Amino acid sequence: VQPPEKPLQAEEWNKLREDFQSPEIFEEVMLNNMIRCNSPVDVAKSLLTQLAKRNGDIAYNVLVKYLTLCVRQGQVSEILDVYDIMKARFKILESGAYNLLIRGLSNSNQWRMALTVLEEVKKMMIPSRTSYESCIKAASRHQEMKLAFELYNEMLAKDVVPTLDVLQSFFDFSRGMKGAELQKELFGILLYLRENQIYPHKTFMRSIKLWFESLPGGNWRGHLTKIKDSGQCPVCNHQLEDSNLTEEEYSNLSERIIKDVIHGTDTFRKTTPEELEAFQTFVENRLPFDIVIDGLNVSHIKSRRMQCENLFDAVNSLAKENARLLVLGRKHMLMNSSNWKTEIMKEMQNKADFFFAENISEDDAFLLYATLRSGKHCRFVTRDFLRDHKACLSDTLTRHLFRKWQRGHQIVLKKKLFLCFSQQPAFRYDCVVQTTGDTWHIPYKDVFEEKYSYQVPRKWLCIHQK
Amino acid sequence: MQSANMLLRRIVRSSVLPFAAQHGMKKDLLLLSRTLSLSLCLKQDKSCEPAEKLDLDEWKKVMKSGLQEEVIETASEPKELSSLAAARETLEMWRLAGRAVPENISEEQLKTFMECPSKSAKKKYLKYLHLRELHKKNDKRKMDEKRERRLEAQDQASETDETKNSSFICLWSHTMNKAYNWRAAQSMIFGQPLVFDMSYEKEMSFREVSNTVRQIVMSESSNRRSVDPFHIHFCNFKDDSLYHREFIKNYREAWDKLLITVTDQCYTEIFPKDKLIYLTADSPKVMKTFEHDKIYIVGSLVDKSIKTGVSLARAKRLGLETAALPLEKYLLWSTGAKNLTLDQMMHILLTLKDTADWKKALEFVPKRKYCGFVNKPVKELKKTLDLINTLKLGKGREKVEKQFAKNYPKK
Repeated sequence: VQPPEKPLQAEEWNKLREDFQSPEIFEEVMLNNMIRCNSPVDVAKSLLTQLAKRNGDIAYNVLVKYLTLCVRQGQVSEILDVYDIMKARFKILESGAYNLLIRGLSNSNQWRMALTVLEEVKKMMIPSRTSYESCIKAASRHQEMKLAFELYNEMLAKDVVPTLDVLQSFFDFSRGMKGAELQKELFGILLYLRENQIYPHKTFMRSIKLWFESLPGGNWRGHLTKIKDSGQCPVCNHQLEDSNLTEEEYSNLSERIIKDVIHGTDTFRKTTPEELEAFQTFVENRLPFDIVIDGLNVSHIKSRRMQCENLFDAVNSLAKENARLLVLGRKHMLMNSSNWKTEIMKEMQNKADFFFAENISEDDAFLLYATLRSGKHCRFVTRDFLRDHKACLSDTLTRHLFRKWQRGHQIVLKKKLFLCFSQQPAFRYDCVVQTTGDTWHIPYKDVFEEKYSYQVPRKWLCIHQK
Repeated sequence: MQSANMLLRRIVRSSVLPFAAQHGMKKDLLLLSRTLSLSLCLKQDKSCEPAEKLDLDEWKKVMKSGLQEEVIETASEPKELSSLAAARETLEMWRLAGRAVPENISEEQLKTFMECPSKSAKKKYLKYLHLRELHKKNDKRKMDEKRERRLEAQDQASETDETKNSSFICLWSHTMNKAYNWRAAQSMIFGQPLVFDMSYEKEMSFREVSNTVRQIVMSESSNRRSVDPFHIHFCNFKDDSLYHREFIKNYREAWDKLLITVTDQCYTEIFPKDKLIYLTADSPKVMKTFEHDKIYIVGSLVDKSIKTGVSLARAKRLGLETAALPLEKYLLWSTGAKNLTLDQMMHILLTLKDTADWKKALEFVPKRKYCGFVNKPVKELKKTLDLINTLKLGKGREKVEKQFAKNYPKK
């Protein structure tokens, strides 16, 4: 139904209502359509008046819908009126209405009211991130940065994840403002990005850049750049952080991989204890390897060719620099079949070490173990993104470590037309927000959308002091 | 009429119109209230602009006036609410806002609700309760209707007063039960054992356990009704476990009279190892025929999250043979996981045992999970599938192909 353009009389509403197929929900449907068409508030008011006259009461959900319309159009006095009515009529409200009230009030000159509503919400539940967002934005818009940061820290303490918008608004609104305290807080946000491996998008990056450049007396200059493969920034010649993990992180990660990924809740789910032990002694006797290859994954690179030929090519192209190779496979590869020729398998076994797992075991877990056990220089070859293994890790910190390690150590074989295999190099530098005190390097995304979790941005913002 | 009365009451209460109310002008309420909005000048002039006549904020007056009394009514209540009461209050507001929330909620459910770790968990739990409430209401309504119909039918029957003359003996349900129980008792002596492995309690949430028990109860009843029942064993069954409590909830006093074997021993202690076959969808081996001298084990596990290989791990640990149903061989699989519910497994096994006919047995796989039976080699089927999809304007073709490739990997 099309909402009318002008306020109607009660009779006219009644007529419309009777013509409607299910009169019980007429008001709801009509208000929904009004919200969709952004009808004038007066029209909605006339509908409510008719409803109030007929029933002597207006249901809560209808009130909330009317409130939505008011918030949409920024009708502050109406919002306040509805809030008064609701407060008098109901003991408490639910989160939807609170969110609307906070959003509506924070955009007006009554923004302090939004804060009192937020306080009210806190008594009952954890406010939503959008509520916090509205309040923080309102506070920082009115230059009350201290209040804004209080809310922000409170939000973090409650494990509510801030939106990128909120973070950006801090940089936007503190542009040109002085104060060591404020500066510290903003650096804190950048470190928050670093710890959670969040990459700002282009407009956010611009806000950061402008804020730095606006700092009075700081002489900061920002440049957009791309980092060389060696990990050197072409603008300030600064060497970025290494992608290698620290000793502690490294041993932590390998421990967790064995505990969570290989053993998990039950060792039998991915392998058997005997097999695991056999594998461990096998690896310990031949350490260290330079490259560990996921045989089955590599053998499927070209579907037209025989699987053992694919593997053979891969082993040949990787064996060149006298590297010690370990190929992980399954027992069925040893059976002479149309895809696996015994002669070729024999020839390969002269060039590399092979370990064949049971056909129902998971070889990926072994791949991770062998690589980690061989040391930091060891890399591994597979096209698998290893997402399921990452998911086995129990906490986010270890998952981040895993991603970082994976970026630095995974070689991806790509098929090309003439060159048989080419390697996508592992990253030598770490892709996170980083600082040395007088320089900041911030990776950013070109678009707002999320990229794949295994991808890292290639564009950087370099900020240094003159 | 009721609403009109209410409206009248409100208007009287609001004392906006004491005059009109006193004179008992109960008719033409709408007219009345419209003239009211003319700020009591009582002008009946219809030539006025309608926009002028409308008092747009009148609803606020109505809302506020209705309030005053209610506020007085509630004023005596204590202001500070306990956390339970507050939660109840919040739920009530959610219900008013039109969310999926049950109308009535018990203290225990409320506590479970408050213990939910996240907002989405809370939402899910409430939705579950809401749906359950709806189902119960519907069932009750249907029961009532049925009873009414039955009473009517009885009335009619008594009116016509026909004397029944039947040459068949009427078999009442307890006679049937006796026959079934006789068969089940026989199976306990001579029947082929079928084991339910009750060692998965730790892997499951409370809801999953109760679902498992429901499924087992259904399988037990279909087993009892079959021509040649299995001798059911519940192995690794711990007394006072969650399983046990749920079983008692379902069976009540019948639990002690069930004609099955319940033991806390493992199946490996009761039966020779080489006779045991663990049925699991993760097994690399595919079942070819049903063997009457083997003992099949079914894991009593409902797996709502992704826990692949849990039952396979158990079989591997004990060194047992495993098998999976030949679903891909006989069915053109479309969607859904290949693990079936326990009662479906029971139906399939019973049919196999009686007829050894895979086609008949796999009728019990839910229809939504497969497109049809495989009657030609897979390659030809793929061709027809392609043809159908190109005819259907190629939309979603890739998706179907991918699905197909996943279900029937090149060997």
